[in-house]
Amino acid sequence: MDEKLITLNNLKIFAEELLKANYTLILQDKQGIRWEKISNSDELHISSKLKPTKASFKEFVFSKTEPIFYFNNKNDGVELIDSNLSAEKMVFFGSKPCDAKSINIMSKVFNWDYKDNFFNTKAENSIVIGMLCEYRDEFCFCTSVNLSPVSSDGSDLFLIPTDENNFAIRIVTEKGREFIQPFLKLFAEGNPETTDQIFKKINLPEKGFESEVIRSWIGNNFEHKYFERAGEICLGCGQCAFVCPVCHCFDIVDEECGYSCGRRMKNWDACQFSLFTLHGSGHNPRHNQTQRYRQRISHKFKYYVDKFDEILCTGCGRCSRGCPVGIDIGQIAKEVHSLAANKV
Amino acid sequence: MNIYKPELMVIKNIIDETKDTRTFKLQFKDEEIAKSFSFKAGQFGEYSLFGEGESTFCIASSPTRSGYIECSFKKVGKVTSALAKLDVGDVIGFRGPYGNYFPIEEMKGKNVLFIAGGIGLAPVRCVIWNVLDLRKDFKAVTIVYGARSVEDLIYKKELDEWQSMPDVKTFVTVDPGGQSNDWKGEVGFVPAIVEKAVQQSENTIAIVCGPPIMIKFTIPVLTKLGFAEENIITTLENRMKCGLGKCGRCNVGNVYVCKDGPVFTYQQLKTLPAEY
Repeated sequence: MDEKLITLNNLKIFAEELLKANYTLILQDKQGIRWEKISNSDELHISSKLKPTKASFKEFVFSKTEPIFYFNNKNDGVELIDSNLSAEKMVFFGSKPCDAKSINIMSKVFNWDYKDNFFNTKAENSIVIGMLCEYRDEFCFCTSVNLSPVSSDGSDLFLIPTDENNFAIRIVTEKGREFIQPFLKLFAEGNPETTDQIFKKINLPEKGFESEVIRSWIGNNFEHKYFERAGEICLGCGQCAFVCPVCHCFDIVDEECGYSCGRRMKNWDACQFSLFTLHGSGHNPRHNQTQRYRQRISHKFKYYVDKFDEILCTGCGRCSRGCPVGIDIGQIAKEVHSLAANKV
Repeated sequence: MNIYKPELMVIKNIIDETKDTRTFKLQFKDEEIAKSFSFKAGQFGEYSLFGEGESTFCIASSPTRSGYIECSFKKVGKVTSALAKLDVGDVIGFRGPYGNYFPIEEMKGKNVLFIAGGIGLAPVRCVIWNVLDLRKDFKAVTIVYGARSVEDLIYKKELDEWQSMPDVKTFVTVDPGGQSNDWKGEVGFVPAIVEKAVQQSENTIAIVCGPPIMIKFTIPVLTKLGFAEENIITTLENRMKCGLGKCGRCNVGNVYVCKDGPVFTYQQLKTLPAEY
């Protein structure tokens, strides 16, 4: 593993150089709400102790809403005009491991056969500078979903604070290596053994459940009454899907912008909405909230794993922190684990 | 390549099947696309009117008849209501063909039993014409079709055509109470007519499509007749948006109906969670 060292001061110069080279720097905002673009390196505030923002940086690679093409209805026919693909070069600076992994996870569904170039272009133009995480609360469970606060999985580069004013930076991917190449003068050579020692001292959240146990239990207990526990209190507001770094369901909707013109949009959607699966005939395969909550858990811990060999969850805890009725997915997974252990 | 951008198709003909169901005959505007386009029986597409949105329908015409496609839709929502107002010569968007298809090749040399209810005849009609256009490749062909009432029967001209064919047994039925004074067809629910019309299951593939309630009561009849689960084939019509295995709403368990389906054998359906 290739490793470099950089001072906080040089990290700011690095940010300045990136801005000059037309990179868009995107960081957790100071209010803890979402990720925002910065225009000045003085705004570079990164810390391994930050609480995850309410929203992840998903919106920058999988847009909340975006035009997929424009149309003009003319007297002699319809004209379709392509929507431009974004060429913005984005750097997600100081991403926690639970956010860093999101692009790779979503990439599976956006590429398993047909390729979604709206997602792909943004993913290809993104550099993830991950960072060791020292934030903990009762909602975090990254270690239960094959991640950890020291995981560089999904990062192109990975920052490790060595003291208040110094960082080690691991080069994780070839993409990361190429990206950092023009700026190497700001870095000194590092020693991976030193950071390995730092990793060893990091207190890891206790593993709350085995994801494989959850997958297998769901496969055998589709009709289990347990799903009613969350289903009956869920409001179906969809916040869990919107704040989730890997939920990727969307709707396709036309918007008219005049008498004869308009655009077709790809908008975020959520499986907790009753209209999501409603047939034209009135039949709805998931007609109650329990079925819709079961879909959410099953998609995350079973279906996506069956299909793409990835858990559709990074253990960030955002959905639980934000849930207006206190549904805690980590807690649910723990309870399912104990149901499985007790074979009930 | 923008996977969400449709091709343009021109409406060449419109048939009003019932008071709320229409059939469009469509041709690609671009001649190159028209030449290269091909599909298989059972596949579907996303049809759109710009400014209104997209809707999912099967391709209801047979792949043996090239140069055009047909789709039939019932006016139930925003997009279908807008489509229903269009005229011959108007242009709509089409993406497709998507999904898997009926195993026509494996059905050759066998008897084929078609069972459809209501607008569920649309996807079945595609296979019926595919089979009839290659008639000598198949053994006995039986069609059982039912609707709520005489007014709700679709493809009426074709029903007459099939009934007049000496080598096709066609049973058209309406639900009790749905018959008109001059109705000469059957009266009764589809499962009961199947029971009456079909005697054997040997070397036979059954293709079933219709409302969930019809399927629910037809399957036991077929099972009683001795049909193996893998010889009963249906097509699921879940709500879809992308048709490409991405938008996340058509799944039944870990199966995306738009990609792994819409055509499933009853044997495959039984392995899925009962959520369709």
